Amino acid sequence: MLDIRHLAVSFGPVQALRDVSLSLAAGELRAVCGENGAGKSTLMKALMGIVKPVAGQIEIDGKVVAIESPQVAQQIGVALVAQELSLAPHLSILDNIWLGNRTVPLFHRRKAFRDKATAALQQLSADLDLDVPVSKLTVGQRQMVEIARLLVRDARILILDEPTATLSDVEIERMMTALRSLKEKGKCVLYVTHRLGEVFEICDSVTVLRNGVDVGAGPVAEIDRQKLIEMMLGRSFREMYPAPSAQGAFTQGLQVQDLRIPGAVHDLSFVAKRGEITCIAGQVGAGAGSVTRALAGLLSDASGHVSLDGTPLRLGSIAARMQRNITFVSEDRAGEGIFRRSVLENLVAARLDNHARYGLLSWKRLRRFAGTLCAEVMVDAQRLGANAFDLSGGNQQKLLFARAIGDKQPGVLLINEPTRGVDVGARAEIYRLLREFCRQGYVLLVTSSDLEEAIGISDKVITLYRGNLVGVYQRPDMDMSRILADITHPAEPKAA
Amino acid sequence: MRKEAFAAPVADEAATRTGRVSSRLTIARGGLLVVVGAFALLTPGFLSVPSLTTLLTTASFVGCLAMAMTFITISGNIMSFALGGTAAVAAVVFVHVLNAFGYAPAVIAALVAGALVTAAQGALVGALRANPIIVSIAANVLIYGVAEWLTNNETAHISEEALGLLIKGKLFGLPVEFCAFVLVTIIGQLVLTFTVFGRNLFYIGSGFRAAEAVGLPTVRTTIGAYCWAGLFSAVAGILLASRFNQANMEFALRYDYDAIAAVLVGGTAIQGGSGSMMRTFVGVAAISIIQVVLLLHGLREEWRLLIMGLVVLAVVILYSSRQRG
Repeated sequence: MLDIRHLAVSFGPVQALRDVSLSLAAGELRAVCGENGAGKSTLMKALMGIVKPVAGQIEIDGKVVAIESPQVAQQIGVALVAQELSLAPHLSILDNIWLGNRTVPLFHRRKAFRDKATAALQQLSADLDLDVPVSKLTVGQRQMVEIARLLVRDARILILDEPTATLSDVEIERMMTALRSLKEKGKCVLYVTHRLGEVFEICDSVTVLRNGVDVGAGPVAEIDRQKLIEMMLGRSFREMYPAPSAQGAFTQGLQVQDLRIPGAVHDLSFVAKRGEITCIAGQVGAGAGSVTRALAGLLSDASGHVSLDGTPLRLGSIAARMQRNITFVSEDRAGEGIFRRSVLENLVAARLDNHARYGLLSWKRLRRFAGTLCAEVMVDAQRLGANAFDLSGGNQQKLLFARAIGDKQPGVLLINEPTRGVDVGARAEIYRLLREFCRQGYVLLVTSSDLEEAIGISDKVITLYRGNLVGVYQRPDMDMSRILADITHPAEPKAA
Repeated sequence: MRKEAFAAPVADEAATRTGRVSSRLTIARGGLLVVVGAFALLTPGFLSVPSLTTLLTTASFVGCLAMAMTFITISGNIMSFALGGTAAVAAVVFVHVLNAFGYAPAVIAALVAGALVTAAQGALVGALRANPIIVSIAANVLIYGVAEWLTNNETAHISEEALGLLIKGKLFGLPVEFCAFVLVTIIGQLVLTFTVFGRNLFYIGSGFRAAEAVGLPTVRTTIGAYCWAGLFSAVAGILLASRFNQANMEFALRYDYDAIAAVLVGGTAIQGGSGSMMRTFVGVAAISIIQVVLLLHGLREEWRLLIMGLVVLAVVILYSSRQRG
């Protein structure tokens, strides 16, 4: 049905897609996997007519098509379900399905359009009332409406961009059902995902992209998880993570007792030792991110007893945290991490007071200090003057880590999703950096929704389900399947 | 490491795009200055001592307010419509204290009054994250309401014996108002560049949530920005009162708008996080020269307003093209 041959796309001098071929039969569900920057989104954009290929061709039903614009894509039946949905929340499901559709005449027979909308929802095995406003629906149900909207426009090739990223377990199950039923109706689906479990659960075949090239493709029956990861990374899984630091080098650390955050975390207690990486693992919405946020003093309604090296730490106070050299690195780098200023200014943001005399700053000292920070976190010091927004995700992340350096005491690093939006090459470097902080005696408390990462980097994994502690695992007794079970299924909270 | 290269094109594209727009802005701003300068020089009578003195003096009143405004704009709080009112309050306080206690107490009282009026707004904006524009409009109405209630809208005159205390005339051959304005500009720029507070101002202006996450004192810094704005507005008030030997609440009514225009024309980013007192200084110069030239050409007030409006619109349009790319 769909044949992509040797597709290449360039942005300026750099090729985002070099040579990608992919063919898809009717009723086939194809997973597209690859690390960030591998070219997945560029491939989607090329199919949607948002970017123009410089070489190669796209065939549909054996005919070469030039997808020059999103309008052309719609005409030939290619449709994208993006991560950010574009529904009008106050209109009904029916209205949303037909909104903006040119085939609807000004005076239409309501019945015919109702029937078609119902049929589209039935194709997805979604049982929804057409007259309910979209604002009342869950994220998963909204996705169904979005897909139904594409179906009434006669979409035959559906591209789904990480549809389950923000869904709960039950909704993921419904999405799987919907996809199976689409398959039966002969639609073909390109399924872009980071969740390898889903690849093996519902997809027929998989294409792996790396550096803009399709490095492998085939039925999922012929490949295992380990192989898939290695294909995505281009190297063995083990090389990614550095060796753990010597255990027991430090005795003190961060002690959290009965941490309570209304609506997010219930009576959580744990210990994060200095010189160790402690990871709180949980799904999106499990509350892991709120724990670090509360410890950073950013949540005013958090309560509980927290102490660092035996001395109590006041929650909800940013000043108290600064005194103890506690650095918070948010998962939202653009909104909550990087300033739209120079690299230099971004590096020294938290340390201005240390470089002022009588309240006046010495730029010479600041520049020298920033230079040493660059060396410590492996960022090119030549770029001190560049705008930090123009750096790659990996470099931005290193720059945020550097803010923890430069105090007289090794402190605490609270990091949410340390490698979100960071490409593979930089990932290994970031893990090495985290280990370096450990060696210097920092407490590292990391949250991650990526299980492989959680197990790969941590000395201790704490599992969280809906704000409750489920289990604590110490290296080397970390069992992927048990941790996975912990964070996906409810269990009686155990005592830590 | 090859992967690094893939992140690059987007970044480079963005960089050249910002580069292109900012160079377009620089050209536009340079062009404006050349045109304004040429017009000024071609206007008969512009290069005379009385006209230049008028230029420097009026530029100083608006200039001090524009410097005050720059603090607020850089802090990410767009602008304030209450600085003219603050200047008027400071002027009235100055005159009353001058008549009763003498010069130094009057200056201090005026500065304190100005800082207090704006610090209150800063507290609302910083601690409660209230919309700064709305807060400033409400504050302005409040200022005029309270002032009318207290003074019955009467003009306060400086008494005969106090007149002798005022510093008037010229310093180094320049009007004393202009010297004060230059001093304000230098102090403002030093605060911005060399103090922790000044640098924090840029941080909170370019990303308030990021500043919180880093652990910067966001509330204190916001209040600080408004305090400095109040101080500089008060300087404008003192200059006005000293110039006219009196003070009333109508004094600085339309200066707010001119100050905003000067900040924008100077090139301080309206969304916050970048800018400088030097840029605002250039903006003040451009705005003031336009006004004096229009005056010398005998154009009436409505023309002046029309042209000022067009200049501000032009700057806003030039800036908006940056966002759309």
